[in-house]
Amino acid sequence: MIKVVVAGGGWSGCAAALAAAKAGAQVLVLERTDMLLGTGLVGGIFRNNGRYTAAEEAIAMGGGDLFVAMDANVRHKGISFPGHHHASFYDVCSMEPLVKRVLQNYGIDIRTQARVVDVQKYAKTIQAVILDNGEVIPGDVFVDTTGTAGPMGNCLKYGNGCAMCILRCPTFGPRLSLCAKAQVKEFMGQKTDGSFGAMSGSCKLNKESLSLELRGKLAKEGAVVLPVPPNLIKSGTLGKKACSQYALPEYAANLVLIDTGHVKLMTSYFPLNDLRTLPGLENARYEDPYGGGVGNSVRYMGIAPCNNNLKVDGVDNLFCAGEKFGVLVGHTEAIVTGLVAGNNAVRHSLDMQYLTVPRVLATGDYISFVKEQMISEAGLRLRYTFSGSVYFERMKAIGLYVIDRAEIADRVEKAGLTDIYSRCLV
Amino acid sequence: MARKLSASCIDLHSPFCPCILAETNHCILCSHLKGQSTCDCNWAGVCILYEKYWQPKICTDEKPTVRIEVETTISRRELIATNTHLLGFTVNESLAAELGKTGSFVFLKQPSDPEFFHFPVGVMKVNGRMVEVVIEDVGPKSKRLLTGGEQIVVRGPYYNGILGQPWIDNITCGTIILVVGGMGQGPALAIGTKLLANQNNVIAIIAPGKTEKIFIGQELRELGAMVYAVDSLRRSGMGILGRLFEAGEKIDLVVSTGPDEQHYGVIAAMQCASVNIPMAATNNATMCCGEGICGSCQREAVDNRTLRMCKVQTDFSQLAT
Repeated sequence: MIKVVVAGGGWSGCAAALAAAKAGAQVLVLERTDMLLGTGLVGGIFRNNGRYTAAEEAIAMGGGDLFVAMDANVRHKGISFPGHHHASFYDVCSMEPLVKRVLQNYGIDIRTQARVVDVQKYAKTIQAVILDNGEVIPGDVFVDTTGTAGPMGNCLKYGNGCAMCILRCPTFGPRLSLCAKAQVKEFMGQKTDGSFGAMSGSCKLNKESLSLELRGKLAKEGAVVLPVPPNLIKSGTLGKKACSQYALPEYAANLVLIDTGHVKLMTSYFPLNDLRTLPGLENARYEDPYGGGVGNSVRYMGIAPCNNNLKVDGVDNLFCAGEKFGVLVGHTEAIVTGLVAGNNAVRHSLDMQYLTVPRVLATGDYISFVKEQMISEAGLRLRYTFSGSVYFERMKAIGLYVIDRAEIADRVEKAGLTDIYSRCLV
Repeated sequence: MARKLSASCIDLHSPFCPCILAETNHCILCSHLKGQSTCDCNWAGVCILYEKYWQPKICTDEKPTVRIEVETTISRRELIATNTHLLGFTVNESLAAELGKTGSFVFLKQPSDPEFFHFPVGVMKVNGRMVEVVIEDVGPKSKRLLTGGEQIVVRGPYYNGILGQPWIDNITCGTIILVVGGMGQGPALAIGTKLLANQNNVIAIIAPGKTEKIFIGQELRELGAMVYAVDSLRRSGMGILGRLFEAGEKIDLVVSTGPDEQHYGVIAAMQCASVNIPMAATNNATMCCGEGICGSCQREAVDNRTLRMCKVQTDFSQLAT
């Protein structure tokens, strides 16, 4: 049986594992921390703008399990907030166990607190990965979904320092890249000023610390917009953000709060004492132990060179997905790239032709477009997401943005990819 | 126990980290402090770059974080064999407490001698503020120290005297074979004491080597170790070691204190008996500064990395021969 080893249990790792298991492989997920989903543990926003199209494409292609799980666990749906429409928010507090069960139902072996620290490579083939306890884990094909955020030294050098974020590096050890350990030369995303990395774009407040009125409004409407007093507006911070779909002037002039279980505040960080001058936030505090008043995680520190099949250049049996693939933002983007990587990992072992999603579908165009853009330095300073910024503009311009399910299913069928992910290849 | 010693730095988490090597972009662990652009350490602990960030800025006209030198008087001097001297001296309480750690050593010289007379000496025993060391009169540095006045300069604490130090510190209720040769008796007494305090069963094989005298046998016996005193490790000690391996009793750790040739002999005995257990060994690299700067202690590892042995913890078998 083909053994696929996925390093990194974030959304893209989960999607890659799922796609590989559905295609008939034996799958092992190695996760550094004690929970799956990675930064998805503080995410929550999906189906907004073009992400709706991408999610429906994944469902039509037979890889929609994770979106179905999110839909089943929403706190709010059909929400509009500045620049975004028809968004759903999954409950970040209860999403992880649900995803774990979905994966386990497919027979996927999940090992938490299993940090990959090195690879065993023979010529251009990885034979095994090595865990930090010295254990050697062999496999036929590997998927690097270790992400690009942190650890502490990077957040200090390229950001405002460790904010004790959900990555929890001091507790579980630093992220290590499989690609880097396999001697693949990685590259880094940049801020608009050309410096390296970008800061995660939202922070999380403790819901109980907000005023009753604000809590009531959040529970009812899902999103609340609070105008920022003019003396606190610093639009210069927008360029530092990872999430360019939220780097709109509206977000500098307003604080956007979203109910995802915690209260998601759509800015990288906001000094606590300034925050407390806003009505309803007089007693606000960040979720423990996180220092959201000071900084946030820095990402895009190690992007792998790969092709449109998500196979990493220079290694024969290594695939990548999520942020490892490019300067992308969001878990919808992570999942759709993860599905391609997982499916192609199995195809690699069977010597089959790789799956390349055609450009008539948003997913295919997205992967190709991001790859084309990242060649240039200017392209490395942009962020790519279905939900805003350059790529959503492109989706609208070339007619890929559709929110009619039947039409999306029809497009997938015309491309000959209906249920492609649910076919057993072995 | 099975956990491998990745090339980690002995000074991590000590007051001496980050050290001068971090100033000059030669840190042993932190990739940023080696001049690289992203994180690539394998250290799941307090980030060294962070430590560096929080550490007060070091002024160029002041001394960076190096060990202090204290001047003291030799309070005990004993000739225990032809060329071997036991020296006792008192230091301040904090230094004495630090020297109680496994594998500790100090640099010694006469106050009037220049810096390059400093030479490393392993700590044999710490009793309150009294530190005891054993010195062999072999070269110019030891000759100067032993023939000069009663005042000496002590610089310390240094920690990397034993490769495999974490194994010795963390083992409890295990069975350990201690192979001791010649001048290895000094550190062996400190290691034996530590192991016995942790309810371990210690079997010591001691040979006098070039010192021509066994001077720790009685003390180890009194502490509870089982001691085989032999004339020569080569002629009879290694035979006993081989028989212990073959007897089938579960051995958790082998500690070899003595010259490198002895370490290789122990490895050969393990290979011969087809046993694969961790081995701690005294660090015999030639040291001059102890701070990773001078380069005299550099050794090459089997994977071609160059290791500064005054700082780097590694498995002795990983060193190139």
